[in-house]
Amino acid sequence: MEINRRRFCQLLGSTLLLPSLTLAADDDNRSAKPMFASAAKDSAGQFHLYLIGQQGEVMLDHLLPGRAHHTEVHPHLPLLACIARRPGRFIDLVDYRQQRLVKRINAGSGRHFFGHGIFSEDGRWLITTENEISSGQGRVVIRALGANYPIIADYPSYGIGPHELVQQPGSSVLTVANGGILTHPNHGREKLNLDSMQPSLLRLDILTGKRLEQQQLPAHLHQLSIRHIDTNPQGTTVIALQYQGEKGHNLPLVAVHQPGQPIELLHAPPAVNLAMKGYCGSARIDHSGRFAAVSAPRGDLISFWDLHENQFISSIKSRDGCGLAATNNSAEFIISAGTGRCLRHNLQRGTTVRLPSTIATAWDNHLTTLPI
Amino acid sequence: MNSTSKTLWPILLGVSLLLTTVSVLHAAPSEQQWQSLNHSLVKEHILPRYQALQHSSAKLATSTTALCRQPEQKQLENAQADFQQTMDAWQEVQHIQFGPIETLMRNFSMQFWPDKKNLIGKQLNLLLQQGNPDTLSTDYLYKASIGVKGLPALERLLFTSSLHQLTNNSYRCQLSQTIATYIAINSRATLDEWNNGYSNSLSIAGSQNSYYDSHQEAAVDLMKSLIEPIEAIRDQKILRPLGGGQVRPKRSESWRSQRSLRNIQLNIASIRHLYSGTTSSVDSLLRKQGRAAQADNISILFNRIEQQLKTVQAPLITSLYQSATVDQLLRISDALQQLDRGLTAEMLTLEIQLGFNSRDGD
Repeated sequence: MEINRRRFCQLLGSTLLLPSLTLAADDDNRSAKPMFASAAKDSAGQFHLYLIGQQGEVMLDHLLPGRAHHTEVHPHLPLLACIARRPGRFIDLVDYRQQRLVKRINAGSGRHFFGHGIFSEDGRWLITTENEISSGQGRVVIRALGANYPIIADYPSYGIGPHELVQQPGSSVLTVANGGILTHPNHGREKLNLDSMQPSLLRLDILTGKRLEQQQLPAHLHQLSIRHIDTNPQGTTVIALQYQGEKGHNLPLVAVHQPGQPIELLHAPPAVNLAMKGYCGSARIDHSGRFAAVSAPRGDLISFWDLHENQFISSIKSRDGCGLAATNNSAEFIISAGTGRCLRHNLQRGTTVRLPSTIATAWDNHLTTLPI
Repeated sequence: MNSTSKTLWPILLGVSLLLTTVSVLHAAPSEQQWQSLNHSLVKEHILPRYQALQHSSAKLATSTTALCRQPEQKQLENAQADFQQTMDAWQEVQHIQFGPIETLMRNFSMQFWPDKKNLIGKQLNLLLQQGNPDTLSTDYLYKASIGVKGLPALERLLFTSSLHQLTNNSYRCQLSQTIATYIAINSRATLDEWNNGYSNSLSIAGSQNSYYDSHQEAAVDLMKSLIEPIEAIRDQKILRPLGGGQVRPKRSESWRSQRSLRNIQLNIASIRHLYSGTTSSVDSLLRKQGRAAQADNISILFNRIEQQLKTVQAPLITSLYQSATVDQLLRISDALQQLDRGLTAEMLTLEIQLGFNSRDGD
């Protein structure tokens, strides 16, 4: 669905009336301070969206209709968006103060989600990556917050299999990771084009859908899928890669991109790179914008990178650890794992603390910290 | 979302008491139980297998050296026999995919397989064409392509070369000798690292100096070694050569040395030993958890698979063209799937999470 500029501006205007979500705190959780939200799978095989407090308290337990992937928190409303894992078709929007499902968005006909979505920095829009199933082409879809979450823009992602997307802070630039892997719901999660895949990193203007820049890795590295990214206010993007070629090759799995430059591969020490087993699951930049964390759940490790020097700093062990989020402190991250164990690692102090927990659950791929 | 009216409390209390009682009956194994299981599995299963691999690969290095010195039929047969013994030892420990064998990708160095793009053939031919004496050192192999430093490359050299090609201390013969030495070095290093640190790290799990935070966490690696290979054997060693209608015997593992079927037999026997062959075992743990019926069922499946494998005609490189062999292998594949499901279900009983993000990421 393409829309003209005039209609777009009209819709923009209408969405300034935000949905009537209350900011009043619920009595039950008045004392608890939220720490993070994440999708998870319980031991009975059911999928939940949890909000966890600073002491490990369960502040929200919302049953999901299926497996989700990423959870995003609204910049100033008590609202969480939990996006179905590919090729899922739901997004649950949950008010965590009122403990209420506000809206379940279903993907349009002929579409499915890829597991990632964000709120725009101003909080007016929900932006997702989607698959146009008939063509296999990726889309970037903007919905306005409101009763029906109307679609106000639907842009091409200029690639196949768009996965994570992030907004460069303080700008209208959206960075999109086109993973390059073609899937079709009729074939489940089977990868259909590994020999010809062409992943790319796209920078897109949110307001116009204009392609500002698109970068690929050198042709011989085309099986490194660009899947998980984060961008700092300077526009530096850290990229976590997944190798789709044969096992046994030891290719770099972390890269950075500066606007207008080719993608630069970063090198971990060989033993660390080997231990990452060809697969990175998540990437996040810290509060200062200088340090990045990249998880390697198959290798049970988290690696840390200096984006000023484009250098590996260190790695720590986290069994089945995948989810990453920055805290409000510089050089500090929270890590969630499929084992249910969560860690807080401070790079500058070199400390790793196990976070308090009151439930046993398998944390799914991504988590998000909440603004306090 | 969780509003609970006051009148429900007595009922909920009753339910939760009931759940507590149930969970006492089926409590997860204690740290002590995991420690005792891990101890048995390391001492009685893993270490003897790496010991055997070290022993046979050292012998293989010696016999390939003897072959180059005296390239006669007898020496070639000795080297081939020692290769078979080394491959036996490797197949019996192939399912252990954690710890020192993972260091520096030793597992891939030992055996890069399946080799879907014929990387081994290409890399090996390149070396043979160039015949550069500088490549005849284990230091060179250390940095060389994964395809030319392991058992499959050596298998090609020992089972497809004529005696004539191995005479006059030929490059081909010396390359065989170098690869065999490299395999022996890798096997030795793996055994040494288990003996000099990794075994200890498992036994002191939970302490500051261990790689593992708990004995239960260490058990996860062992349980992965029990379960994950079953699907891999089914997919790579059975279904892939069956090719979905059009049989492709050369997709079988070790077809040049005519031991594809033997590999599967050794794998299953070894995995069975990991399941129930040690003093403290998964089998005994399941029975203590009140899962005797399920443990019996798993043993029956192991029996059935072993019996079925005995009836298949070797070597698969020729017998795979017979429809009877295809039918037998499809039945074995089904039984392996049942075994996989049975064992996976019991991991829930034991509260072992084999991996969530690591096994099924996005």
